[in-house]
Amino acid sequence: MAKTYDYLFKLLLIGDSGVGKTSILFRFSEDAFNISFISTIGIDFKIRTIDLDGKKVKLQIWDTAGQERFRTITTAYYRGSMGIMLVYDVTNEKSFENIKNWIRNIEENASADVEKMILGNKCDLDAKRQVSKERGEQLAVEYQIKFVETSAKDSLNVEFAFYTLARDIKAKMEKKQEASNPPGGRTGAHQLRANEQQRKPTSWLSRCSVL
Amino acid sequence: MTNATIQEIEGIDDYWGPAFRSVYEGEGGHEAFVQQLDERIQQHDKEIEKLCNFYYQGFIDSIRELLQVRSHAEELHAEISNVDANVKESTESLCTRAEELIKARRVELNIAATIEKMELCLPLLTTYSKLKTQVEAKRYYPALKTLEQLEHVLLPRVGAFAWCAQIAADVPRLRRAIRDASMADLRDFLENVRKLSPQVGAMALVQTQDMLGRSLANIIKNRKEAPPAGREGGGAQCPHELVDCSPLHRCLHIHGVLGAKNDFVQYYRAQRKQQARLVLIPASGNLHDSIQSMKNYLNAVLGFFILEEHLLSTGAGLVSKDWLLDTWSMAVTKVASTLRTNTSLITDPTLMLSIKRQIVLFINALKCYGLPTDPLPLLLQEMAEHYTEVLMQRWVVVFRDILDNASFLPIEVENQEQFDAVMDTFPCDADELEAQPFPRKFPFSPLVPAVYVQVKEFIYAWLKYSSGLGLGGARRAGAARHSAALLLARSFSGCLAALFRRPLPLVQLVQIIVDTQYLEDATSFLYEFISNITGSELVTTQTAGSMFQAARDDAEKQICENLEKKVDEFLDLENYDWLLVEPTGQASSFVTDMLGYLTGVLSSLEQLPERARAAAARAAAARIAQRLRRALLEPAVRQVSAGALHQLDLDVIQCEQFAAAEPVPGLREGELLEHFAALRQLLDLITGWDWSCYLHDVGLEGGKYALVSPRDAAALLDKLREAEQKSSVFSVLKKNERDRRKLLDTVLKQLRQLQNQDG
Repeated sequence: MAKTYDYLFKLLLIGDSGVGKTSILFRFSEDAFNISFISTIGIDFKIRTIDLDGKKVKLQIWDTAGQERFRTITTAYYRGSMGIMLVYDVTNEKSFENIKNWIRNIEENASADVEKMILGNKCDLDAKRQVSKERGEQLAVEYQIKFVETSAKDSLNVEFAFYTLARDIKAKMEKKQEASNPPGGRTGAHQLRANEQQRKPTSWLSRCSVL
Repeated sequence: MTNATIQEIEGIDDYWGPAFRSVYEGEGGHEAFVQQLDERIQQHDKEIEKLCNFYYQGFIDSIRELLQVRSHAEELHAEISNVDANVKESTESLCTRAEELIKARRVELNIAATIEKMELCLPLLTTYSKLKTQVEAKRYYPALKTLEQLEHVLLPRVGAFAWCAQIAADVPRLRRAIRDASMADLRDFLENVRKLSPQVGAMALVQTQDMLGRSLANIIKNRKEAPPAGREGGGAQCPHELVDCSPLHRCLHIHGVLGAKNDFVQYYRAQRKQQARLVLIPASGNLHDSIQSMKNYLNAVLGFFILEEHLLSTGAGLVSKDWLLDTWSMAVTKVASTLRTNTSLITDPTLMLSIKRQIVLFINALKCYGLPTDPLPLLLQEMAEHYTEVLMQRWVVVFRDILDNASFLPIEVENQEQFDAVMDTFPCDADELEAQPFPRKFPFSPLVPAVYVQVKEFIYAWLKYSSGLGLGGARRAGAARHSAALLLARSFSGCLAALFRRPLPLVQLVQIIVDTQYLEDATSFLYEFISNITGSELVTTQTAGSMFQAARDDAEKQICENLEKKVDEFLDLENYDWLLVEPTGQASSFVTDMLGYLTGVLSSLEQLPERARAAAARAAAARIAQRLRRALLEPAVRQVSAGALHQLDLDVIQCEQFAAAEPVPGLREGELLEHFAALRQLLDLITGWDWSCYLHDVGLEGGKYALVSPRDAAALLDKLREAEQKSSVFSVLKKNERDRRKLLDTVLKQLRQLQNQDG
């Protein structure tokens, strides 16, 4: 039975309510855009398979509710994530300032080696812009995180952002695998058996459930 | 002898022969005779002498006397001549006079005769001249009367004069001229009537409207407001006064005099019928374009028949009741069908309302004029249906718009003002909310008040039509309730159904279910509202509870599908190592993720009715069980190790724990677990190696493994055997292992048998 994928990456989208997390995900998974705002209840996810260096990578992207009242539900998903997109709205100063809080949240709840990326969404709305691209870049440099401005509406940089994050995760994973391969120990924690068979990521996933 | 002969001769005058013979032949011969003759002569002589002697004196005397007389005569003669001259002189003038007198007498007689004649002629002539002036002045009826008098009385009396003949010859010509002229008048009249009848109709409608709106208060108000206001409409009080019917009456009289009354009536009716036909064809073609053309049309029709009705009462047989009703029934059918075709195309409710108002007025006016209104009320009913349709179509657009722009988020209010605003538009039981601090959150989305307000608007619009139709409040309210229910159940539900055609996010689905519940609950408020504005009693018996059940079912179905899809997505991540030697000791990550996700989602569906939540949970559980079982029995997986089986068992246990924890309320005890029962039995059977029990109970109702079919058991056993064979292909089997293998083969054989029996 042929497996439908080589890797499974779990990604997480976080950020203030209304910054466009769902729209970014909708753009990435369905390549569509819906102008009306529908706030996410709790948590939702979408799956898209992408091709990365000849490998089929399944991205299970968790879309969290930005609203405070869902915070307890959403933080539970931090731990299992391998990549986190921090999204703010360039037309909303507050959402940008809150990025620091979100990063603190990640530090508290997510695993230490999680890949992160900052997205400044709604960059098509130049007239309403409150946060300059430079400030975004500055913040990214400050935290050593990759940064890109996106527009879910104009489909700008959305693919790029996900591909970049996925590629980084893959690179980190392969590096780890190389490092842990020579000892050959079955630690179970992050053992990847990609070379043995066609199937790999279960070991990583099982680690999540341990934690 | 001789003597005798002479005597004879003397005696006999004429016969002288014998006398002569006797003279000649007689005795004495002729001498004797001559002698005798001589004697005789002497005798006669003597006598003569004597005689002469005797008369001589007298003679002389006479002569003397005569001579005397002669002188006398001469005297007399002179005298007479004298007298004669005198007379002659005197009578000459007399004669002239007499002659003059005679002449004068004759002249006098002549004059008298002439005067007499002239006196006879004079009335004729005056009449004739009167006739001429009458004709000139177009007073045809008196002219005709004069003409008749002239012809029958005066002309025969006068006699045969050349000019009389001329006049007599003139009479038919005049008569014809009058007839023609009156016909021309009639044509003018008809033309005029055609122009005026819309005005007549309009005025009648205005009067009808006034009459309908008549109430004591209104009358007083009008009196107070406008006492000096002059009469309107050029002084006409009644609509038919707008038209001067005198030409028609004149014409009728003229034809009556001419003895052609019937012809005229026929002609008139034919003409009017033709006109009616023209009137009945709308002038502007499309009546549904504007209210004005509709008004014009109805005015023209009404005006036409008002005039006919007026003529019926005044027109001396020009219009008969039968004819009028006949024409009217033809007309009213035509009017109804024209209106029907035209109104059926209208999509503008306002226009329909105005048209309805016009038709109602029209009907009332008809009633005033005693004309039957028959197919028209029916038409109004048909129009009412059409109007409802039109409104519904309009509100479909409104609803679609509302739904398209709906956020499907609960209304959140920051302060009392906003709270009151929502409470004003939508009646709901908000006692609980009242106690909460701001911001308060309503359970329903803005869609609910918006739709509620729109339904009210619809009812307003709908009732506008039914007003003035003379329906009772209860009937109106009933019909309004019906329409409102229809609107919600058909139009709004239709829009909702259209909404479900594309997949919706869970949030929307949940909110739709909640919203429809609130809308349904609000129907009673709507009924109350209807009874308030129609002034009828509140009807509460009608239960519209399942108005949106279809929509809710759709939404629930979609929620289930939504969850099933998510479950599928998780299970697509399923990544079992079917040859796993040793289980990891934990459930697979996709299962824990999935169960975590489902718990979260199901708990976030708290707003859903219990039934819907339970259905969603059931759907999810069923799908998980089905997918896991399918994964295990997947024919493409040839070998399954005991380790893998245990891993799956672990996962199923996780699922069972989830199911047993009853993630949503309202489920039957252990209901979700039942979905996993078949899988559980299969796993228990294989892992517990409980074949004797299975084979013993097989086919038995309520057995421990009743849900495991021999085919599935065989398939899985086959996979297990394959896996064991592979792992132990080179190693020497221990005894108990050999026994186990043997048992396995036997069981497999038996299962195949059972399978064949069943198959």
